[in-house]
Amino acid sequence: MSEYKATIGIEVHVEVKSNTKLFSNSKNTYGMPTNTCVNPVDLGYPGTLPTLNKEVVRQGIKACKVLHCDISKVMHFDRKNYFYPDNPKNYQITQNRTPIGRNGYIEIEVDGQKKKIEIEEMHIEEDTCKSAHRGEISLLDFNRAGVPLIEIVTKPCISSSAEAMKYLEKLKETLFYANISDCKMEEGSMRCDANVSISKTDTLGVKTEIKNIGSIHNVGLSIDKEIARHKELLEKGETLQVETRRFDSKKNDTVLMRVKETGNDYRYFPEPDIPYLYLTEEMIEEAKKEIPLLPDELRSLYKEKGIKESQIEKLISNRSFSSFFTELIKEDTDYKIAANLLLGDIASYLNRTRKDLGDTTITVKRLVSLISHLSDGSLSMNNIKDLIDTFLEEEKSVEEIMKEKNIQNIKDDSLIKDIIARVIANNEESVNDYKSGHDRALKYLMGQVMKESKGQVNPSLANKLLQEELTK
Amino acid sequence: MNRYLDLSLEEIHNLLIEKTITPVDLVKESLARIEENKDLNAFITINEKAIEEAESLGEVEKDNLFFGIPIAIKDNIVTKDLRTTCASKMLENFVPIYDATVIAKIKAAKMIIIGKTNMDEFAMGSTSRTSYFGAPKNPFDKTLIAGGSSGGSAACVASNETFLALGSDTGGSIRQPASYTGIVGMKPTYGRISRYGLVAFASSLDQIGPMTRKVYENASLLNVLVGEDDKDLTSAVKEKEDFRRKMKTPVTGLKVAVPNYFMSDIVSAEIRTGIKDVIKFLEENGVTVDYVDMKYLDQAVTLYQVIAMGEASSNLARFDGVRYGYRSANYENLEEMYLKTRQEGFGREVKRRIMVGSYLLSGANAKVYYDKALSIRDDIKKEFDKVFASYDLVIGPVTTTTAYSLDSDMSDPMKSFLDDVLVIPVNMAGLPGLSLPVAKKGTKPYGLHIIGNSFDEATIYQLAAFIEGRYQR
Repeated sequence: MSEYKATIGIEVHVEVKSNTKLFSNSKNTYGMPTNTCVNPVDLGYPGTLPTLNKEVVRQGIKACKVLHCDISKVMHFDRKNYFYPDNPKNYQITQNRTPIGRNGYIEIEVDGQKKKIEIEEMHIEEDTCKSAHRGEISLLDFNRAGVPLIEIVTKPCISSSAEAMKYLEKLKETLFYANISDCKMEEGSMRCDANVSISKTDTLGVKTEIKNIGSIHNVGLSIDKEIARHKELLEKGETLQVETRRFDSKKNDTVLMRVKETGNDYRYFPEPDIPYLYLTEEMIEEAKKEIPLLPDELRSLYKEKGIKESQIEKLISNRSFSSFFTELIKEDTDYKIAANLLLGDIASYLNRTRKDLGDTTITVKRLVSLISHLSDGSLSMNNIKDLIDTFLEEEKSVEEIMKEKNIQNIKDDSLIKDIIARVIANNEESVNDYKSGHDRALKYLMGQVMKESKGQVNPSLANKLLQEELTK
Repeated sequence: MNRYLDLSLEEIHNLLIEKTITPVDLVKESLARIEENKDLNAFITINEKAIEEAESLGEVEKDNLFFGIPIAIKDNIVTKDLRTTCASKMLENFVPIYDATVIAKIKAAKMIIIGKTNMDEFAMGSTSRTSYFGAPKNPFDKTLIAGGSSGGSAACVASNETFLALGSDTGGSIRQPASYTGIVGMKPTYGRISRYGLVAFASSLDQIGPMTRKVYENASLLNVLVGEDDKDLTSAVKEKEDFRRKMKTPVTGLKVAVPNYFMSDIVSAEIRTGIKDVIKFLEENGVTVDYVDMKYLDQAVTLYQVIAMGEASSNLARFDGVRYGYRSANYENLEEMYLKTRQEGFGREVKRRIMVGSYLLSGANAKVYYDKALSIRDDIKKEFDKVFASYDLVIGPVTTTTAYSLDSDMSDPMKSFLDDVLVIPVNMAGLPGLSLPVAKKGTKPYGLHIIGNSFDEATIYQLAAFIEGRYQR
């Protein structure tokens, strides 16, 4: 008997970053006091009309580009009519007939296998109010009403929870890097619905829609749970019904919301208040210019510069690191030291102080200067701990900080040799140990050199000279 | 009572400059006239602050013809802090928090809003009898309708409660009542005036326009109202122009087309005779008048019903009792609140149109009806384009009959659309059209319809001003 094959399609809504809302000039913000970013248009006030935020159209074009979609050069909006209190006009302005993008894809890799997840279409639409229910009362926050969204719909071409999760991670990373959305699922700026069906044949099975899943992890879980539930029912010989479910993270399972009523009728028709928009080549080129390097491009770039794969992933998982690093590699410096510094002492400083790289005084120029001091031996990695706080909190040059902290590495060979000679003279026993093959003795002697020099010799240089002296 | 409002706009302006009168005198006179004609029921709301506003106008602006002149506003145009009802129970107590763009322009021109005029509920009707506040009456004969939907504005101007008003025209709602009451009513080109703040009935057709006593006043008021508005994406970007600029240019050499359909037996003999009289007058004065055949004109009403009701069903969805307006007192749950609020808040005609419109857009119907209507609408536009390739203007009657009795049967919903059979094609094509009173003095009023090419209101006024001189009522 053949196996069941799962067919999964995913719909993602992301809130688009923009100064103002999609159809009004209210601020597009998150976390502001309730109903403070609202104007008559957002309230669906009689007589108001939508305006179109070109910034969002530009973001839409960017999204088309990074997700390899064909762009609808003639773009229009449609009204989707349905009554709900969170829908101020009782119609939502969305794109039904002319979605801004079609036929895109994202390439993922699961277990070493590359696969293109195909994107059916992508459209721009407005968000609804946020509603809250307190006992008998329902409350509405219109701050979210009219916030721009981009909806991205895949074809039913995903065949496992692992693929679904990879797709979402890649989508999130891409949109975040392209500066299109924050993609914070916990704040609702990225929301996810999954359509799941299973079948043993090429004919698709009955589908379940799982609505508004709160994390990528839960998308994986809920798909697995749904596949298992479908299997169990089918094995029992039961018929599935088209259902809408949601993922209950407490129960760790999907629960029924509603059995789909036949044919939701949204009475779509072209929005007469917004004229057709013609996306010109210039507009598309302008938008393209705003797209920074995307994660996959960064990966190969960093690899070229000899950065370890584990470090590359760490750099990319923090956009402020990677954008800083990408600037830095335009300079002629030691990139490996740079990566070590960023992911080592600088990262731990940021962790400790709960700061972002942007909150510090770091500049590419200053870091290059720090690296050059490390390269020429005037600073050692040991010194970094002493100066890193000042380096990140004040705008002083590395030299000034060194002077202030009294860090003066002795780079003069003869001075170091004098110190080494003294140490060798005073530690005859250890010298003998070393000569008879006890390597540990070298460490002790090195320690003595550092002590004797009050930490001011360059350790690698001193080490080299010490070994030379000992093998003489 | 003073009779300053019977003087011409320029005469009044000069009296203001000479300080013979003040804006307060004009406002008081207008209020007295409204009181005197109370039975006309032209107004739903009087602006209680009108006198106060007139007092605070300051020094007379010598170059501003409209300084201190009272104006009436159709009650579907929102006015900040002044009740705006759309003649519906749904908005009976609705006080807007913002001004429509045209209202901001009127305030900037220092006109005084005297009140909000009666109309068909949400502008749906052609007799103003669907008003929740009762129908306005025709000042020519108070047993007759004033027409609609801008019936209150028409009655106000025709009785000279004040001689300036704003109306809105979706399918003839400015021109038809203007014709019935004998005033000058202009529906400008779609996009000429911002719709921001006009409570939407059918967004792709709605247009605000001036309703006045005289052609000169009409063109002058249009000068104030027009302009691109970044709050209305359908408003047109056009260079500033003076719509009066051709009014003294001789009409000799103008070429005018009369569609045969407009002069067919759908129009009463009385009106046809009157229009022919105008045509003769024009020919005598060097205007070329040709009768032309135009396709699709007879289908315009059907298209209008599909487009207007489809759009209306969506535009009026926002009246749900959640955020503003009427909310039913008795409901157990959300669905019941929606149902009862809309059942109780809307009148019969509005509900009928919402239901038909919803049906027209539902499921596959949208493609069968709405899309098809939009495409035939383009064909109507092209038909007009063809005519305007050879002619400066199109003329004909505005209405098939003169105003009829207020007591006539309202039960046939199609009747009201057929009243508008001659005006609707103009909305379909987005063109400017004006109703100019041409009936003989002392007889029931009716209008000459002057239709212009897109954004060519100036030529309409040129012809209208010329004819007006002859047909003084």
